[in-house]
Amino acid sequence: MRSRAIAALFTALVTAYAWLLLRAESQGAIAALILVGIAAGILAMRTQLLRPVARSLGSNERFAQGLAFAAVVVIALALRDDDFALLLLTRVLIVIVACLGLNVQFGYAGVVNFAGASFFGVGGYTAAVLASSARLPHLLVLLAGGVTAALAGTVLLLPILRTRGHYAALITIAFALLFRTFLEVNDALGGPQGLKLGEMRIGPLRFNDPISAGPFEGSFYLRYIAVALVLVALAFAVVQRLDRSWVGVALDTVRLDEIAAASFGMDIARWKIAAFTVGNFIIGVAGALSAFMIGFIAPNNYSFAESLIFVSILLLGGIGSAWGLSLATAIVILLPEKFQIIQEYRFLMFAALVVLTLLFRPVGLVPRPLRRLVGPPLS
Amino acid sequence: MSASVIAQYVMNGAMLGMMYALVAVGFTLFFGVLDIIQFSHGDVVAAGAFAGLAAWTLLTAAGVAAPAVLLLAVVLSAIAVTALLGAVVARFIVLPVKGAPQLNVLLVTLMAGTVLRECLRLFYPGGSQPKLFPALLPTSGWDIGGFHLRFDNVILLVSGALLIAGTHLIITRSRLGLAIRAVAQDEETARTMGIDFRRVVLVTFALGSALAAFAGVIDGLYYNEVFFGMGLLLGVIGFAAAILGGLGNLYGAIVGGFLFAALQTIGAVALPFASAYKDVFAFGVVILLMAIRPTGLIGERASERV
Amino acid sequence: MTTPLLSCRRLTRRFGGVVALDGLDLEVEAASVLGLIGPNGSGKTTFFNVVTGLFPANAGEIRFAGAPITSLRPQAVHRAGIARTFQRSRLCLPLSIFDNLMVGNHQHLDHRLWFNLVRRQVLRRQIEENYRAARELLHIFDPPLADRMMEPAARIPMIDRRRVEVCRALISRPKLLLLDEPSAGMTHEETLRLMDDILEVQQKLGGLTIILIEHEMSVIERVTRRCVVLNYGRKIAEGAYAEVSRDPEVREAYLGLE
Repeated sequence: MRSRAIAALFTALVTAYAWLLLRAESQGAIAALILVGIAAGILAMRTQLLRPVARSLGSNERFAQGLAFAAVVVIALALRDDDFALLLLTRVLIVIVACLGLNVQFGYAGVVNFAGASFFGVGGYTAAVLASSARLPHLLVLLAGGVTAALAGTVLLLPILRTRGHYAALITIAFALLFRTFLEVNDALGGPQGLKLGEMRIGPLRFNDPISAGPFEGSFYLRYIAVALVLVALAFAVVQRLDRSWVGVALDTVRLDEIAAASFGMDIARWKIAAFTVGNFIIGVAGALSAFMIGFIAPNNYSFAESLIFVSILLLGGIGSAWGLSLATAIVILLPEKFQIIQEYRFLMFAALVVLTLLFRPVGLVPRPLRRLVGPPLS
Repeated sequence: MSASVIAQYVMNGAMLGMMYALVAVGFTLFFGVLDIIQFSHGDVVAAGAFAGLAAWTLLTAAGVAAPAVLLLAVVLSAIAVTALLGAVVARFIVLPVKGAPQLNVLLVTLMAGTVLRECLRLFYPGGSQPKLFPALLPTSGWDIGGFHLRFDNVILLVSGALLIAGTHLIITRSRLGLAIRAVAQDEETARTMGIDFRRVVLVTFALGSALAAFAGVIDGLYYNEVFFGMGLLLGVIGFAAAILGGLGNLYGAIVGGFLFAALQTIGAVALPFASAYKDVFAFGVVILLMAIRPTGLIGERASERV
Repeated sequence: MTTPLLSCRRLTRRFGGVVALDGLDLEVEAASVLGLIGPNGSGKTTFFNVVTGLFPANAGEIRFAGAPITSLRPQAVHRAGIARTFQRSRLCLPLSIFDNLMVGNHQHLDHRLWFNLVRRQVLRRQIEENYRAARELLHIFDPPLADRMMEPAARIPMIDRRRVEVCRALISRPKLLLLDEPSAGMTHEETLRLMDDILEVQQKLGGLTIILIEHEMSVIERVTRRCVVLNYGRKIAEGAYAEVSRDPEVREAYLGLE
């Protein structure tokens, strides 16, 4: 009970901090907040102040997820009429979904994918094309975004299955560069100018109308946040259930030791296909929602550099760690948007940060916990 | 198609092939000594081209106009910068993660390449836009039946070939080459033979990167333009060429480079795409080749069947 | 004479110019323990790798339980009932001991995606059943270790890793167990204890056949009735350890090396 209270208190603190950061406008205040955040992080690591919190959250996953969910809802409602802050929050949620998909490939099965932003883009372009031409319900369009991304991935499956490690990396890098160039020169998809999307609709709900229900008034982004939050919850559930099952054991073994895996009857190709396809599907759905929310997509959003940002998020957060990548997404997305001075330098900054992480703390910010299929929670 | 047009395509392909081969040789050298892929290699190439450009800009600003002096300065500064960068990458990025999972080595070099690329974009004056690269070689030439064979192209091709031959001599004839080959064969044995492993690695990285500097300069001189992202394309294709020729195989890398250029050139002529799709085609070929011959054209190491 | 469980005829495997297995004929009786010895590089591990399908044979035939398995992939060989350990430990160190054991039992687990995602109650029961079985098996080898199944394999000492590796190979109840130098990195006493435990399991399972690669001759002498000596990929002697150890060719193969 006491540990739960500690965890709740911690969450409240983090929520308040995130709220302050999101609504702050003066660059000075933002810089101060960021410094406070870094200092608090270092302090927490040095003094191991977070031990009880980590233990409490780690031992009761449901509770932790509930807290996180509540925290996002509270922040969204507190910022209900701040369009820009809500846009950022939605973007964080959507990128979390995409990175959860990437995590299945990269973190679990060890299938490298440096074209994350490309599959995100496949989802986005699918949404743009379907929303303008077909009379498909928009929820189905989101699904279709995932399906097309998964299908696009099958193009790469043969070369990826036939190669390992570095070679597979080369293939996905080549695909990322190809995809971006293709979008730019293909007039049917709008060329470098890209495509526009109408607002998202679910039944009678028109997403871009401002919200007013009695005394409550809020930005239209709240609807997108709601959808994004549902997607995060679903993706979290899928990814964690996969991890904590026989599938998770098989994927880890395929990543860690293909020879041992094959010697005990594991079909390497099957698991790589499964991880790559499931991952791309999740990334594609996220990409479709992102396109709806922004209302406009262009090749620039889906460059190789953006793919590297996705990979950076995984590595900074801790490869394979769902909570770690969530935290890292918040940092990587919010920091440059709020602290404008570093916006231009973000690729440089995060790439350098990843190099340092790999050299000095390869497990990342929140290391992936040990899988415990049976038994009492970690003591 | 007239003979002169064909000759033009051949010239184009030879030039591309020379650049790819020079980059691929670097990949193959690094793989030889350390069994790793230096994913930032392409960006080191770009840095070399920009270093050359910087030398030219500084010297012309100082009033130097003699083309020979300028050319020498461009080449030397490009080589110096890339050799240094290569050694720095080896010393501070690659060697510290030696023994970590392969994936980490891949990621750390890839991200180091991104750092380099972004530094060019952000900190080189006007680096976010393509930069004009000066024509330092005589552009006149011979007319052979309607085809204009330019001196500068001939000079670039010949000097590229000489460089590759020189590298070959270093590897096969010199004491340094012997040490490199010993390390490539077996690190432990090389150590017990008294070879300074670290030094050999650093020197190999410096050597491979210096070769790539030349690829960068050729690129600049041939297209009269350099771009901060140029290393990405050269790196991906150079790596693909090295794989095509069998990683670790010096001749293979050269053959792979020219083969890739040939494919690209033939593709540009034979396929009904607009030229806008030429990069799409090049990357498509990379993916396709990996699917067909994942271990390269020359030789296949025995590996476990899983 | 009964038909052998495993029989190889003229088995050959080359690596480039090196002939690692050179027309090897070898048979193993069901429910027996066969020792496989020979100097370093004589082809012992290659024999395991070829039998398990990691390296395809260049020529020759392997029959297992009456059926040919020569060209099967490793997965199919394992499903046919052959499990192995590796000379250099190949546990997945970041995973728990239990996870590692479940790697060995992969073929008996339900790993359909949909089942694992949705049927969580049934999955939980499967996990618990497997946990009990794994615990029981590990208990034979080392009772304290059986209580540490949720710890990462990276945290346990070498001898325990060997035990886990042997259990990982045993848990799927194979017909044939290939042990590749279980003594590597262990003391003499530890090795003997491990072998005693393996023989105890063999008794319990009734009918388990074992091929043992081992450098410690006292271990071979103690646990095998018959052994085969390899040199340069060829069989140079066969018989009880006492006999082959007196064989002049065998003595030369070993002495020539030392």
